[in-house]
Formats: sequence, C-alpha cells, structure tokens
Amino acid sequence: MDAKKSEVLQGTLDLMIMKTLHALGPLHGFGIARRIEQISEDTLQLNEGTVYTSLLRLQQQGWIASEWGTSENNRKAKYYSITKRGLKQLAIETENWERISGVIGRVLKLESES
Amino acid sequence: MLEKFRVLGARLRGLFSGRSSDREFEAEVREHIELLAERYIGQGMTPEEANATARRQFGNTTLVHEHRRELRTFLAPTVLWRDGIYILRRLSHAPVFALAAILSIGLGIGANATIFSMISKFVLRTAPVTDPERLLAIHLTHDGERCCNSFSWPVYQDVREQSKSFTAIAAYHDLFPASIGGSGSPERVWGQATTANFFDVAQAQMTFGRGFLASEERAPVVVLSYGLWHRRFSGDPNILGKAISLSGHPFTVIGITPPGFHGLDLLLMPEFWVPVDQLDVLQPTPQDRTHRDWHWIQGVGRLAPGVTRQQAADELAVLAQRLAKTYPSTDKGQGFYLDRAGSLPARDRSVILLFLTVLSVVVLLVLGIAGANVANLLLAQAIGRQKEMSVRLALGATRLRLLRQLLMESLLLALTGGAFGVLLSVAATHGLNAFHLPIPVPLDVALEVDWRVLLYSFLLSTVAGLLFGAIPAWVATRPLVINALKGEDALARPGRRWSLRSILIVGQISMSVVLLSATGLFLRSLEHAASINVGFRTEGLLMMSIDPQVHRYSAEQTVQFLSQLQEQVAAIPGVLSATWTDQFPLSGSHRSDGFSVPGRKMKYDESANVELYMATENYFETLGLNRLSGRDFGRENPDGQKVAIVNQSFVEKFFPQENPLGQIVSGGDVNYQIIGVVQNSKARSLDESPRPVLYRALNQTVSSNPSGLGYSLVVHLAGNREEIAKAIRHDINSRDPNMAIYNMETIEEHLRSALFLPRFTATLFGTFGLVGLTLAAVGLYGVMNYTVSRRTREIGIRMAMGAPSRTVQHMVVRQGMILTLIALAIGFPVAFVTAKFANSFLYGVRPHDLVTFMAVPLFLALVAFLACWLPSRRAAKVNPQTVLRYE
Repeated sequence: MDAKKSEVLQGTLDLMIMKTLHALGPLHGFGIARRIEQISEDTLQLNEGTVYTSLLRLQQQGWIASEWGTSENNRKAKYYSITKRGLKQLAIETENWERISGVIGRVLKLESES
Repeated sequence: MLEKFRVLGARLRGLFSGRSSDREFEAEVREHIELLAERYIGQGMTPEEANATARRQFGNTTLVHEHRRELRTFLAPTVLWRDGIYILRRLSHAPVFALAAILSIGLGIGANATIFSMISKFVLRTAPVTDPERLLAIHLTHDGERCCNSFSWPVYQDVREQSKSFTAIAAYHDLFPASIGGSGSPERVWGQATTANFFDVAQAQMTFGRGFLASEERAPVVVLSYGLWHRRFSGDPNILGKAISLSGHPFTVIGITPPGFHGLDLLLMPEFWVPVDQLDVLQPTPQDRTHRDWHWIQGVGRLAPGVTRQQAADELAVLAQRLAKTYPSTDKGQGFYLDRAGSLPARDRSVILLFLTVLSVVVLLVLGIAGANVANLLLAQAIGRQKEMSVRLALGATRLRLLRQLLMESLLLALTGGAFGVLLSVAATHGLNAFHLPIPVPLDVALEVDWRVLLYSFLLSTVAGLLFGAIPAWVATRPLVINALKGEDALARPGRRWSLRSILIVGQISMSVVLLSATGLFLRSLEHAASINVGFRTEGLLMMSIDPQVHRYSAEQTVQFLSQLQEQVAAIPGVLSATWTDQFPLSGSHRSDGFSVPGRKMKYDESANVELYMATENYFETLGLNRLSGRDFGRENPDGQKVAIVNQSFVEKFFPQENPLGQIVSGGDVNYQIIGVVQNSKARSLDESPRPVLYRALNQTVSSNPSGLGYSLVVHLAGNREEIAKAIRHDINSRDPNMAIYNMETIEEHLRSALFLPRFTATLFGTFGLVGLTLAAVGLYGVMNYTVSRRTREIGIRMAMGAPSRTVQHMVVRQGMILTLIALAIGFPVAFVTAKFANSFLYGVRPHDLVTFMAVPLFLALVAFLACWLPSRRAAKVNPQTVLRYE
C-alpha cells in the first residue's frame, strides 16, 4: 500500500471516533488518537488537536459522554464513552457509509471495464 | 432534528460553564502533548525535539481553542464583549477617523430623523381616541369627484337614521371663533359645535367630567381642551359646574378633554366644544339648518362591531342612490367617501405626500453621501491594517471572524453617529417649529421627535452601519497575503486605475454640487424676496384685530365702535395716524370679486378679478401709500352711494384712456363710484405682479358684506411701542371689557410671516447643502490624510532623491484636485438640468441664475483645495531619514 498521507474530513473523523469508542470502550483523547493512528496504519495524516473539536461536537449532540478518571500512569484524564443514542447513530452512519462506498465502488469498476 | 435541540441546550449550558471548563480543556490539551512528547523521548529524541515534534503533531493549539470556544456556546456575551473592548481601544487611537465617521453618520441620520418627524406627525399619527381605526370621517362627494364636501343637516340626519354600519354618527361644525373669559384679558379662541353624541363617538378619555348627554343638544354647556383649561383657568379642578363666558354668554363647564386632544382633524386646533344648537348664539350668521343644500358640518362615525370599512362604504353607496331618487334636485350625483378620521385632508393629501416623498429621497441621498464617506474612511483605514489582517489570516483566523469584527466596528460607529443625529434632529425640529405660518387660523404643525422617530433612527443607523461597512470589510479581509507581509499595498489589484475610493469621492462631490446649487438658488430667492418692494410702509406700523361680530354687535354698533376707537387711538401721544381695515395685505386670506363697468362689454377673463379691502379715513396715509388723484374716505353715508378708491392697476385695466374719477364700477352686485386713485402695492402674495385693488369704505360695507375674521386696527407710530400698545388695549377694553384682542404684531413680524415659503425652503435646502458640503469636505480630507500616511515611504524616497517639499505638496494637492474637477464636471450639468424643477418655488430668480452657478463651483473648489492642502502639509513635513529607516 502506498504510504499516502491524505487529509481527513471532519465528518469521517466523528464516525471513526464513535466506532473506536464502541469497539474499545471508554478512552481518553490521547488513547483515541493513538488507536486511530494504529488502525489507519499511518495512512491518515491527522492533526490530533482536531480530535478534541470532534469530541466536543459529539458531546453536544449527545452521542458520547465524558467523565473524569485516572489514567494508566495515575494521571487525571477525561474519559469518553459512547451513549445509547450514539450507538444508534453509529449504526445509521455505518449503513450510509457502506451504501455510498458500494455505489462508488461499482461506478469505479464500471469505468475500468470500459 | 432532535440533535439540533440538544446542541442548543448544550450551548446554552455552555454559557455558564465558562472559565472552569476552559481551564479543564487546557489541562487536557497539555496532558495530550506531554504524552506525545514522552513517546518521542522513548523513541530516542531529545526533549526539545520531542516537544517540538509533539506540538507539530498536535497541530495549532490556538486554533483548537478557538474552534472549541466557538462551538461551546453562543458568541453573544463573551466574544462580542471582548471584540467590543478591542474595537473601542483601537478607535481611541484614531480619534480623527472615529470623529469623522460619527460626524458624517450623525449629519445623515439627523437629516433623516427630522424629515421622518414630519412623516410621523402628518402620516403615521392616529387620533388620540380609543380604537382609532374604527373611527371614520364621512365626506360628501359630488359627481364622483374625490373630495371633499361638508354635510347639510338634513342629509346628515338621513344618514344617521338609515345607516346600519355605524354604532353612532356625529356631526360637527369644524371651526369658529369666540371670545373667552377667565384669567387675564379676553382671548380669542377657536372651537367646534357638535352633536350631543360627539364624545361618545370619539371615545376620548376625559380628564375630568364628561361629554354631552343626549339631552344636552341645546344646553349652554361647554367642554374645554386640556391646554385651554390650564392656560385660562389655571387648571382649577373645581371648574366643573362653573359658568364661564364665551363671547359674553355664560356656559357651564361639564368636561375637560385629555391632554393632546384637539378634535378629530389632523391639523385644526379647536379648544372648546359646544352643542350644535349653541352655534346660533355664538355665531351671528344663522345657519340655514333646514336647507338640504347648505353644507356646513363634518360627519364622523364609529364602525359597528364586525362591520368592515368596505361594507360601510357599500351601504353608503346604496343609501346615496336612494337619496338621489328621493331628492333629485339636491342630492343627484351625491356620493359618500370614507376616510380614517385624523388623517391628512384628502384634498391636499397627494400634494403633501409628494412633498414628503421628495424630502425623504433628498435626505436619503444625504445619508448616502455620509455613508460613502464612512465607507471611504473604512477602506482607507483597511489599507493601513493590511499587515495585521494578513498575519491574523495566516495564523488561522477565519475570514468570518474578521468580517464580524469589522462589521461590529462600523455598526458601533453608525449607532453612535445615529445617537448624535437624533440630538441634531431635536435641535432641527425646534428650529422648524419657530416658523410662523401666514394663516389666520391656528394650526397644529409642531414637530417633535417621538418614539417612532427614535425607532426609525435606530433602524436606519443599523442598516447604514452594516451596508456601508460591508464592502470595506469584504475587501479588507481579502488581501493578497504574501504582498501584505512584504509591506506592499495588498489592496492594489494590478491593472485597475480607478480605485473604489476615488469613485466614492467623485460621487460625493458631484452630489454636493447639485445640493449646493439648490442651496444657492434658494438663498438668492430669499434675498430677492426679502428685498421686494411691497409698496406700503415696512416699519413703524402696529396692527391688532378685534371681532365685534362675535359679540353680536350690529352693523351700526360696529361702525360706531370702530370710528370712536379710531379717534381715541389717534389722540394717543406717539401715534401719527390710525385706521381700520378688514384684513391687512399679505395675511393669507383674501377677498375678491369679478368687476365690470356697467354698460360696457368687457370680455370676461381672469384679470377682471379685483382684490377688495375695506378702509376707513387715513388708511393710505397710515400705510404710506401715495394718492395719485382724488380724495380720501371721509364720513361716508352708509346708505348713500357706495364709494371706492382704486389702485393704478385697476385704472389701467378698466379705464386705460380716461379719467377714472367719478366713474361707476360694479362688482358683487354692488355699484361703486370711484373717488380716488392710489399707487400699487402687494395684496395677496409677495411675488405677484401688480393686480387691480379696490378699497371700499368700511362704514358702508359692514352691514351688507361684513368681515368674517374681524377688523384690524393699523397704527402708524413713532414712539415707545409697548406703551402705545398698552394704551390702545386700555382704550378698547374700557369700551368693552369682553372684547378679545388678537393677532397683535408689528409690520416687521407680519412681513416675516409672509416670507414663510422662501424662508422655509431656503432653510431646508441651505441646511442640506451645507451638510452635504461638510460631509464631502470631511470625506476628502480624511482620504487625503490616509493617502499621505500610506505613501510616507514613497514621499521619503522622493525627498531623499532631491524633490523639494513644495513638489511633494503639489503632488498631493494635484491628486485631490483632479478628483474634484472630475466631480465638478459631472455634477455641474446635472445641477443645471435639475434646477428647472425648482422654478415654481423661486422668487424673482431664474433657475439658471448666473451668480449661483458661478459661485457654487468656485466655492466647492476652494473647500476641496483646503481639504487637500492641509494633509499635504503633513507630507511636506516627512523626514526622509526616519521614513526610509522604518520597516
């Protein structure tokens, strides 16, 4: 795979954060950033500060919740977790995404055939 | 959808979490970056490298904080407050700029507020009654013409009985004079005679007492206005039930109207109301009540609940047809027209609305000039702030944020200017209220700055601030970043010769040319009007009027009273001569009639109309009119041949080739024998060409054709005016203590009133022209000032290369004057062409007046030169060394 660095759109970042929290349970901001980095295998070039903007937005919409806790190395950290509403939203968004990517995939395959 | 509400709720909560939440977040961010750095240290970097890399990986912390703040809550309180303080601080560093902007907007808003106060008063205000929308004035129309006739009593009764659309219909005789008692000498006041249900229909909340009862249609009762009650009766609350004297007759006071109530008409100012049957007592000329064709009362009705205006109009149309069939001789072609009570009289409405519209357009143009000024100033300022803007943009500020700040700045300036403008309009309305209308009847035309004007000013300021701030803000936040950081003029788009600023300035100066030309024309007109030779004496005359008719003097009693008084007054020391007439010339009322020479065929044309004045002995001597032939009036026999003295114009019209003395002329079914000829003088208006005037002997005319507005005593005096006036009043009052004396004025005051129209237009246009000029001059000065400060480097280079400071000054001045000359070239033809429209308002001045059109461009050029020269001196003072060192 090409080590292509592409920029991430804000909406997709929201989706990735929700998925991460869903799969891995409550995480703090640093942890979320690391997980995304890991999953994308360095393909995505992410300004980690933007994660926090997404986190605030998701919180305002009621899809994630936050709580202060202690981290692994005994530091105070804010932990984020996905809510029931967030789970529902995740399911909707996942379905949308798969549908769209399916269509685009078919279109692209069409082009290469002709 | 639901999310939107949740987000809203979260943002509302965010209003309160404030600083603690910010601190928490800062801690979070710091933690994150530390953890990143630790990772890099673990990978082998030095702590400094690790920190740097961590920060880079995290991204722009400032941006993150700002985005978060924008999301967290509404911008309203904290961010706007901070922006506001920042703007104020910046403005205090550039006071000239701020003052120029505030002054400009203030002048523009002030002019608009003043004109809007006229609109508020004459178009928007409603009668001070309950539910004014349901109160309708009913007018008679004839043969479909719009307006606007009074009712006759029988027709009123028919409508009152047969119409179902109104809960009640009242009628009133709209204005007649009376002499009122109370504290002080008798005063002449005007009032209305109404049907008993008038106050029920009006539904005004009485301050004291009540309106008329149904049984009181003949009773000698009176309702006083609030103002009259305070003025004549000291606001005595015990006045109810007491009797006061009206033209010598006792009337019982039964009510005081609410303050500000003066009947249901917009402009009239009645101060008392009596039942309609009392009119015969107070006004000697009996109204022929029973006649269907005698029109003398106004109708007003209150719509019944649930009935619309259209339904009422339809019903009245049907009723009109029915009446026309029943009374074909009088009611044929009659119709009814409904209008909201208390609005502009329908006959004059279109003219007045047109006048107000034109004025509104003019002042909006003034505001446009002012706004262009502010836009220019903002643009000029934006040039100076390019570096700052570019840096901020590069650091990640959103364009929206910058736009918002700039708009806030212009809004703040506009609102401050608007407040200043409101103060100006208060002064302006005071000034306009000092104008005295040359009309014998009291009118309510006082202007005031009420809540509508304040609201309008506020809205207009806001719109102006946003509108004129938008373009500079848009342009200013779009500089080419690279060029700006290098210090060059980033707003210069290569290839564009004419910048927006230059276009604005040229537009402003052109408009000023037009405005100033109008100013010049009207000032010259005033100057000319003030120097018109009226023919009669212009100083040393005192006039005052009495109305014996109101006190039921018979014709003989009137003649005796007046002639005895004339003798008595003429004997007062200091009085050179005294005389009586009905109306002094240029009084706003006139009497005329068509004349002919009996036995001669004259082709009927308009100029056979002759002005009529009554006079006693010594009239011409008192007024200073030269007698050309014949004699003066003496003790003319009231029953003998009626005599008349005519002016030269009359002779030229009717007896061009012969001696007029002894000839008989006929007018108004009366034959007059000419006994004298006098010089011409002004009669109706200042700018009239000489017209025929006939003076008839007062003694002979009072019985057959009395004056409806009383008689005026004219006194030629040479002494202490106050003492003589006091003596005259004493003479009158000792003969009849009830006789009201009114309209006392000197000839100078009288002529000032006659000059109302030229004075009024000169004041209005003079003010607007001056305002426009000030704005354009201020604008030009401001822009040149900033140009100089922007080009200090260029100037420094030139001077370092050897250019003397004079050359530099010339350069600056020349730049400004070129713009001015272009503006003059554009504005002059426009002014020349539009001047034609002013023709009907000018006195003796042609619209293409040479003096005006030469003086105005020169004056403008001079002012523009000054506006360019002052900043140029700044340019000359530039020290090349300091400037070139500046980076």
